[in-house]
Amino acid sequence: MNVLAKSMIFSVGLTLVFTLVANLLPQVEGEAPVEEEVDLGSLTMDDFVTLGESLFMGKGTCTLCHKPAPLGRAPDIQGDNMVEVAKERLVDPRYQGKATSPEAYIRESMVDPSAYVVAGWGKKGSNDSESPMPHVDKPPTALSGLEMDAIIAWLEAKDGNEITVALPTMEASAEVAVVAPAGGGLPAPAATPEEAVTKYGCQACHTLLGSSASLGPALDDVGDRLEPEQIRQSIIAPDAVITEGYTSGVMPQDFAGKMTVQELEMIVKLLAEQKQ
Amino acid sequence: MGDEKRMGLAGTLMVTLVVFAVVLAAFYGLDHLIMSIQGLPLNMDLSPAG
Amino acid sequence: MSNDMSGRISWPAIFSGRLWTLLLVVMLTVAGAQTVAQAASHGMGSADSAEKRIAPVGRVQVEGQPLIEEAAAASAPEAPEPLAAPQPQRKDYPNIGVSSRAVVWIAAQMHLFFGALVLAVPLFVLVIELTGLVTKDERYDDMAHEFMKISLVGFSITAIFGGTLALALFLLYPDFMGYMMRVFGVQWLWYAALFFVESFFLYTYYYGWNALRYGNKKWVHLTLGLMLNAAGMTIMVLANSWATFMMAPSGVSETGVVTGSIWEIMKGPLWNPINLHRFIANIGFGGAVVGAYAAFKFLSTRDPKLRAHYDWMGYTSNFIAILAFLPLPFAGYWLMAEIYAYSQQMGITAMGGILAWLFIVQAVLIGTILLAGNFYLWSGMSRTEGSVRYQWMIKYIAVILVICFLTWMTPHTLILSAREISVLGGSHHHILGPLGIMPAKNIAVNLMLIVTFLSFQLYRRSDKVAVVPWASAANACMVAIYLVAIANIIFVGVYYGYFTNTVYKVGSSVIQVASTLVVIISGLVIDGFLYKGAKRLPSHWGQVSDRSQYALFALPIAFTWLMGLMGYVRSSVKTHWHVYTVMKDNSPDNFIPTIGYAGNMITLVTILFLLFVLFMFWIANLSSTRQTRPTTAEGGAVA
Repeated sequence: MNVLAKSMIFSVGLTLVFTLVANLLPQVEGEAPVEEEVDLGSLTMDDFVTLGESLFMGKGTCTLCHKPAPLGRAPDIQGDNMVEVAKERLVDPRYQGKATSPEAYIRESMVDPSAYVVAGWGKKGSNDSESPMPHVDKPPTALSGLEMDAIIAWLEAKDGNEITVALPTMEASAEVAVVAPAGGGLPAPAATPEEAVTKYGCQACHTLLGSSASLGPALDDVGDRLEPEQIRQSIIAPDAVITEGYTSGVMPQDFAGKMTVQELEMIVKLLAEQKQ
Repeated sequence: MGDEKRMGLAGTLMVTLVVFAVVLAAFYGLDHLIMSIQGLPLNMDLSPAG
Repeated sequence: MSNDMSGRISWPAIFSGRLWTLLLVVMLTVAGAQTVAQAASHGMGSADSAEKRIAPVGRVQVEGQPLIEEAAAASAPEAPEPLAAPQPQRKDYPNIGVSSRAVVWIAAQMHLFFGALVLAVPLFVLVIELTGLVTKDERYDDMAHEFMKISLVGFSITAIFGGTLALALFLLYPDFMGYMMRVFGVQWLWYAALFFVESFFLYTYYYGWNALRYGNKKWVHLTLGLMLNAAGMTIMVLANSWATFMMAPSGVSETGVVTGSIWEIMKGPLWNPINLHRFIANIGFGGAVVGAYAAFKFLSTRDPKLRAHYDWMGYTSNFIAILAFLPLPFAGYWLMAEIYAYSQQMGITAMGGILAWLFIVQAVLIGTILLAGNFYLWSGMSRTEGSVRYQWMIKYIAVILVICFLTWMTPHTLILSAREISVLGGSHHHILGPLGIMPAKNIAVNLMLIVTFLSFQLYRRSDKVAVVPWASAANACMVAIYLVAIANIIFVGVYYGYFTNTVYKVGSSVIQVASTLVVIISGLVIDGFLYKGAKRLPSHWGQVSDRSQYALFALPIAFTWLMGLMGYVRSSVKTHWHVYTVMKDNSPDNFIPTIGYAGNMITLVTILFLLFVLFMFWIANLSSTRQTRPTTAEGGAVA
């Protein structure tokens, strides 16, 4: 047999061995999270808890880190009774957060993981002052308030605790629409100021209504600093006046075209009332 | 892996032991050094300090 | 020893000596990089400093204070350019009937294979040429020239696949490419311009080889080679910045609005780790591919002179490949550490999530590479008579290699879903559990590297006898370093890995890496001094078994497959994002394919690559083939 044939047979054969190994392993596909349409009208608490569990295992990517002891890179949420754990945390002198109930504590842990870092799980070198956990309400995870509520409901239910989270009402539909823009069509106009703020995602960048984002200027004291007219201008034409220390071109320019007049007025009014 | 013709058995043994002790001490120091650089100090018996 | 002995220094030794120095430099660079990585991970605590810096600002600058109506009127009519990253829906992706991702996958991988090859070859060609200049041995020069010759067509193939890839991307992912064009902007022009620069230096370097062969002209030639490498390297780091931007975007806001300069966009957290990793891996890959050429030529001839030449060429190629391969795990370690520092989620997706099985395949591939490399070295010992002194150690090395290989292959314990846990009956396999976790694998990998280096050292020693009086002390020292380093690696791995906390477990892996580096560096230094002016035993190039040459085929195949596999994981950790956290992938292929599917794709591109490489070699040999003039007798016979 000539050299070319022999070397080719050897090379291709070796390649096929590697292929075989790859095909013998468990075959798992990493599905992209599918935006689930939740029919709020017929939602029961059981459905809500089930939704929470599937979010925890799936879209939330929680189980990447929250695993049982030898493997986990974060506290074992599935194994612990989170309501009991939260009660202990709330009376821990190290706890500096704002929560007063287990439910609020769990929600705070999701949107502001560094509010309380469980001993031993902090970022390396931060002496447990900073959590390595991403904010679950921001990309790449980007859970909505409704989805976080569902997870809390499941965490409460799985160990037989009373579920304190309220079922989402029809008003929350706007929030769902923001989560799933794929749905097409215009989202329903917001009914309350808070809803309007959530709908346009103000808290994603600004400190407002409990968020502590810092991409844009803090707005929880904006009422002290700006007149309603200036607030309106800052929403319609964000780059007209730039707060010192921030760059222009970051805030979306198209709010004027998207908001209804009523929504704009509600947001301006709400912001003007933000005083410290 | 050497030719030990030039030294007697005792001499060879001596050199081997000394070299071994030196290398051992060097690696011991290396372990302490690398862990302390990372802010993870060790006790004398190499167990985590603190 | 006699005078004529010291005067006649054999060429492979010198050549190896130069490369050992290079290895040292690479090792030190990696060690330095390690330190930097450590320092960086300490600085992680300051991640909130940015938040503090721009904490609530009290003062508002008001410029001009235009009336609100005016501001609204001024901003409303001029439709603002879409600054944020586009968020295309599924219908926005062209459907061509076959998977768009598969098309791009093949084109990208072929472009990358050939790109890696043509970046690496000029690099070691330049080093070999320089060695030839220093040693005044023309055989180096001829070999360097031959390496260039066989990879020359590779430049055209790289460009062809690069064009195909760009075309495929623009046709199949228009929104994504539009966004990338906007982000990188003028950098694309630089990239294109650099191709002209590289082509200029490539052709002047290759075709000017014999015209600029001696004296000062040789230095001109070397400068051309240096410029060729500089252009190639710049092209590589520019292209790397696109990949790292997609994995860990920088210089853009949360919505993808460009906020930084092009430099801030390029200099993401993963850019330099990828640059180093690809740089080293390219050299290993390039060495492996030209080694296969030498092996093929060796097997194809019975002429002892040619066999000696191609044996030497194959040895050199293998030397380059293994040399580059040894520090590669450390560069990979740095990359992984930076990925974890950037996003723990991403790190775990790669190492502990659904991609974790892939590291079993990686273990098989790296095991193949190490076994083939070691086997080739052991076979090569037959070239010299002095090797009998070390033959007895080979079986122990082989046993350690195989045990470590199996440990490394032991499946990692994973959690995929609640369903999978119930199938496995718990998250740990009862018996394999303790072997499946990281500390055991760290021990195995470091020991494999150490014994591979031992094979190397034994091979290098096999044709020499030390004459310095302190030889036995030096040997005792070397033995002690090996034993203590191995003991240290095992102790540290077991003690910190299984009996203390996670932080110490991770921290202690640095000790293991350092121990391995200490063995390699002290081995080089000690042997460097020990064998200065050593007595040389005769060695015979070409006197090596045919079977050993198949190791030189196994190496590039495993390298190629490994590159494909690592490309799959590098791209998959982005999950369903084009640009992580900024631009979602809504195409039909936005899921991570199974390892089996990926394996089939990788095999497809590996075989395609094999065919194109054969073509490249065939073209290289075509130029030196001359058809014999047909005689009239033959002509008459035909007629």
